[in-house]
Amino acid sequence: MAFLEWRKFHFFDLKKDVDEGKIAELFKESKVTVTCSGNNHIVLGDSNGQIFLCSRSWHVRTFRAYELTVELAHQLRNSPLLVTIGQDETGINPLIKVWDTSRFDKNGTPFCCRISRAIPGNRPVHASCLCVHEGAQLMAVGFVDGSLVLYRGDITRDRSSKQKLLRDASSTVTGLAFKTTSTNIFLFLATDSAVMVYNITHKDKEVKFHLDNIGCAKKCSVLAESMIESHFMVGRNDAIYCYTADGRGPCYAVDGEKVMLEWFRSYLVIISKTTRPNLAITNDNQSAPSQGDLITVLDIHNKFIVFSATVSSIRSVLNEWGAFYILDNDNRLYHLDEKDLQSKLSLLFKKNLYDVAIRIAKSQQYDSDGLVNIFRQYGDHLCDKGDYVGAIEQYIKTIGKLEPSYVIRKFLDSQHIEKLTMYLEALHKQGHATEDHTTLLLNCYTKLNNTVGQSNSLKEFILMKEGDLNYDVDIAIKVCRQGSPAEALMLAKKHEKHDWYIKLQIEDHQKYVDVLDYISNLTFENAEFYMKKYGNILIQNAPYESTQFLKRLCTNYNSHNSLDNSLVGSFELSQKSDPEDYIHLFLNNSERLVEFLEYLIGEGCILSTPVYNTLLEHYLHVWGNLENVSERNKYAQKTLKLLQNPDIKYDKSQALVVCHMHSFSEGILYLYEEQKLYQQILRHHITKNDTSSILACCRRFGHQEPTLWVQALWSCVRDTKNPPIDLLNEILTVIAKERLLSPQLVVDALGTGSVDITLGHIRSYLTNELQQEQKKTKEISDLTHNYRKDTEKLKEQLETLKSGTIVIQGSRCAACHHPLELPTIHFLCQHSYHQHCFQSFCEEENECPACQPENKNLLELLKAREYNKDLHETFHSQLEKAQDGFSVAAEYFGRGVFNKYKVIRDEVRETAPADKIEKKRVVEPEVRNYGLGAEARLRQVEKQGQVLIPTSEGRVRVQEHRYSSSLEAKNRRVRVQEHRYSSSLEANISNYVPKSYERKREYSGDIAGTNPFESDYDESKNPFASEDDDYDENNPFRDDCDKNSNPFYK
Amino acid sequence: MSYAYLFKYIIIGDTGVGKSCLLLQFTDKRFQPVHDLTIGVEFGARMITIDGKQIKLQIWDTAGQEAFRSITRSYYRGAAGALLVYDITRRETFNHLTTWLDDARQHSNSNMVIMLIGNKSDLESRREVKKEEGEAFAREHGLVFMETSAKTAANVEEAFINTAKEIYEKIQEGVFDINNEANGIKIGPQHSPTNPSLPGAGGAGGSQGSSCC
Repeated sequence: MAFLEWRKFHFFDLKKDVDEGKIAELFKESKVTVTCSGNNHIVLGDSNGQIFLCSRSWHVRTFRAYELTVELAHQLRNSPLLVTIGQDETGINPLIKVWDTSRFDKNGTPFCCRISRAIPGNRPVHASCLCVHEGAQLMAVGFVDGSLVLYRGDITRDRSSKQKLLRDASSTVTGLAFKTTSTNIFLFLATDSAVMVYNITHKDKEVKFHLDNIGCAKKCSVLAESMIESHFMVGRNDAIYCYTADGRGPCYAVDGEKVMLEWFRSYLVIISKTTRPNLAITNDNQSAPSQGDLITVLDIHNKFIVFSATVSSIRSVLNEWGAFYILDNDNRLYHLDEKDLQSKLSLLFKKNLYDVAIRIAKSQQYDSDGLVNIFRQYGDHLCDKGDYVGAIEQYIKTIGKLEPSYVIRKFLDSQHIEKLTMYLEALHKQGHATEDHTTLLLNCYTKLNNTVGQSNSLKEFILMKEGDLNYDVDIAIKVCRQGSPAEALMLAKKHEKHDWYIKLQIEDHQKYVDVLDYISNLTFENAEFYMKKYGNILIQNAPYESTQFLKRLCTNYNSHNSLDNSLVGSFELSQKSDPEDYIHLFLNNSERLVEFLEYLIGEGCILSTPVYNTLLEHYLHVWGNLENVSERNKYAQKTLKLLQNPDIKYDKSQALVVCHMHSFSEGILYLYEEQKLYQQILRHHITKNDTSSILACCRRFGHQEPTLWVQALWSCVRDTKNPPIDLLNEILTVIAKERLLSPQLVVDALGTGSVDITLGHIRSYLTNELQQEQKKTKEISDLTHNYRKDTEKLKEQLETLKSGTIVIQGSRCAACHHPLELPTIHFLCQHSYHQHCFQSFCEEENECPACQPENKNLLELLKAREYNKDLHETFHSQLEKAQDGFSVAAEYFGRGVFNKYKVIRDEVRETAPADKIEKKRVVEPEVRNYGLGAEARLRQVEKQGQVLIPTSEGRVRVQEHRYSSSLEAKNRRVRVQEHRYSSSLEANISNYVPKSYERKREYSGDIAGTNPFESDYDESKNPFASEDDDYDENNPFRDDCDKNSNPFYK
Repeated sequence: MSYAYLFKYIIIGDTGVGKSCLLLQFTDKRFQPVHDLTIGVEFGARMITIDGKQIKLQIWDTAGQEAFRSITRSYYRGAAGALLVYDITRRETFNHLTTWLDDARQHSNSNMVIMLIGNKSDLESRREVKKEEGEAFAREHGLVFMETSAKTAANVEEAFINTAKEIYEKIQEGVFDINNEANGIKIGPQHSPTNPSLPGAGGAGGSQGSSCC
């Protein structure tokens, strides 16, 4: 039979002479009797009772343990304790010694912790087997006669250790092993003729359990640990038998007479006698020993023979430092070195044993990248062999590491579509699929559907549970859409891809009503969204249903689903959508829109302005399209109602435009009236040629907007062919009464018209007007006359002042009203003062304190005018603003804007302090010395200037004068206070001089044209200043002047 | 893991009938299409529950090849149940059943429960042995019969569990001497009336222990 053993590999290298013959040196004279290893050294014992401790660098420490011989030794793996059994005396007297190899005495001998006799009962028997539990609390010694002694307690101390004879039988103990499980401690025992196990968990309650009736030779048993279940392995000629605490386990058939078993990691090393010397690999050039020993290393886990070689007789196998060391009878040391994983794998790859490689790699915790690489190579190999299914299985294991395109490319052939599908499915399951993969997979499915009829697979894939959703639904839908629309739809529905569902239904299936049903099952937000999105199409194709749905959506939306669950529904606030968003959907469907909006209004929705606008528009649109008169009326009524409804906030101007567009005159008129656009109403009537309405309109709104009449007039004249006389008359009467239009314009208007209007039509009007004009003219001329007279009077006065003598008759001081006494001061104004009175009263020494306030006012008035004169902009703006520009201009004339009296005044000012200060008459040629009467003279000059003013202007000025004097009177009291104040100031005469110098300086500045008053003039002190500013507006005379009295007006 | 009983099984049959696969399917619930030959005896274990009792099944999966017959024979003894497997797609495996049966009867204890298994029932197209033939054979020799598929796992559980049930019944009937290890039945530690670990039974512990072997 060919295959009676496991597959064979060479995963180990056998190296000779690793110790360079050092061990052979040691044992030139003696024989190695015992070997063991652990705790980082190899322990060898010789027939002379010496023990050798070899370190890794083959440094050897020797000590004598026994006088005669060492028989057994056991080195604990992880502690420095070494237990030996040997003879110190001749005869049968085995001694157990426990050494602590970490403590050496002076002679280099390790500390011996314990020496005790190893005797079962009272018989002197050779010990045949020694086993120490790793915990150093248990030790078992087997004897040649079959007895077994178990030592409990710390093995390093004699006292605490208790021994117990467990067995007393005839067959030699050949093997012992402790095995510790989580709950129990077992002691396996092999003899020549039996295998058994003791449960020694509890002291004095050891339980023996018979495992087998066949035993094994010495050294041919080993405890195989590190597996899931530890086995006690026993080597026999036909096979290796395994035992568990429960009984027999597996058995591995390995031929050959076993010499030795050793366990290392997951390898079982079997040394057996071979009869095939030709296989020996010893490099001895001498004749190969006929009785070589066969080393077989089994990988129990993976079930391989991982090494097999023949070496001449082997003494022992030691495992230390992560490898096997083999000592042969010639004391040569071989090193059995495991190859690294990579070379193992490459070995396997060469043989195409990928599955084995994978198993090995996995068992050795190979990293995932490496594994993936193996899977890929395996897959490639299977591919080459044509085993595509197998290949795909391997490739599937690479998912996540290997680029899927590598695999996909290999299977793109249509023959392999099933395998490709498998791969892609796996890819999806593991969540590594991209869009393209999904697409490809779905395409595969559809193709498979077509050929094989496996329609289920697609469905299954699509309808996978939510949890295992491992593809992109969007792509799936997209792909399915082409291949199998039904699935696409299903998919969309299942995954609530509403958008897709609706799109598919609409675009591919044209099932609009279904779509509406579908949407109505959605939540409000979704429904709203999709209605906005697809409403257009839906309304076009299913107008009625869509409208119904929209009504629901905009008033009281509850999805059908929630309706079913009334409890939930009651808690939910019904949501409303904004109808505005849907209006555009009804683009070409006014009737539906009207229906929709009416419904909404009926439901009492508060709609926004644009909605109402739209409704209005569509009302009119429908209205415009209707043929039936009654229908039209109905709509017109509706429209008007809508317009008149105060709750409805439509945009008026837009409504107007809409009404205009549809020439819906009721609406137009209503809106005009609403907006107070009476002119528009009038115009509307005019265009309609509806004279009675025109009149009615004028009458109705004339008091609010008088120009209506004028307009009516114009329209009458221009547009109407035959203006009814009564209309015209009424218009004219109103115009005349309200003075809406000057007669001239009326006549003009009447004249321009293309219509025949006879004089008769307007006679009464004209006569009326003329009479009134005449009356007015007369009034004005009277006024003029009066003014003239005044002027004359003033002129005369001036003359007397200039040339006539003035008799100063005042006998009393104007200040203190006591009879005058010299020294006195007299003014031309007929006021006389005591000098001391004057000095205490006067503000300025050359002005009469009594007249001063008045004069000052006048001066300021003039100054203000002067000031205003430069305000060209004010003038222009007034001119522009004024209805009657002429009157503004006239007024400015009146103020003397265009006069040049300024010069005169400057002189006056300059020459004033004649009597006290030396005057400088540098610039002005016309300077006169007025002396004490300067003030009066000043006034005179002023009057003179005024004479030059044109009469009409003069009239204005008179009025002004009156006004200002009246104001002056009011302000006098204030003035008096000022007087007092200033008089106290003036009392200080020392200040006086510099003041006048100041003036001189001002004067010189005046040459440049500046008003010397400007610097003195304090706007804030002047009580008239503000009045002057306000003058144009507030002057009560002004209006009269402008409108009625001014003869130039009109 | 504690158990009430431990039953030992042996699976026998010609090479390649799927013995190892049956075991793998039963213990690991997987199927390995390519399987190396069994060299010697492989071993699997699984807990099942019968009649509310935990029962541990220890199964020896033997090599079918003639060369290993001597090894496998030693396993008959100490097995409480045997699964005699043939391949329904290969008639010769069916023909060899008599030999196997004789072998088993000869080396095992007489009470061993033997179940006849026609494996590879998934390969219906290649069937060579009719189900009826199997049934007839089983009837004739007093076996329980079942067709299984290690690949699809059909009837695999049942095969093992039914066998276990039968053994359990026999125990209840007292046919088996449960104290005799050689019968392939072991009483679990906590069910053993002579469990030495139980307090109070300490005094008799030592002698009981030795008496049970």
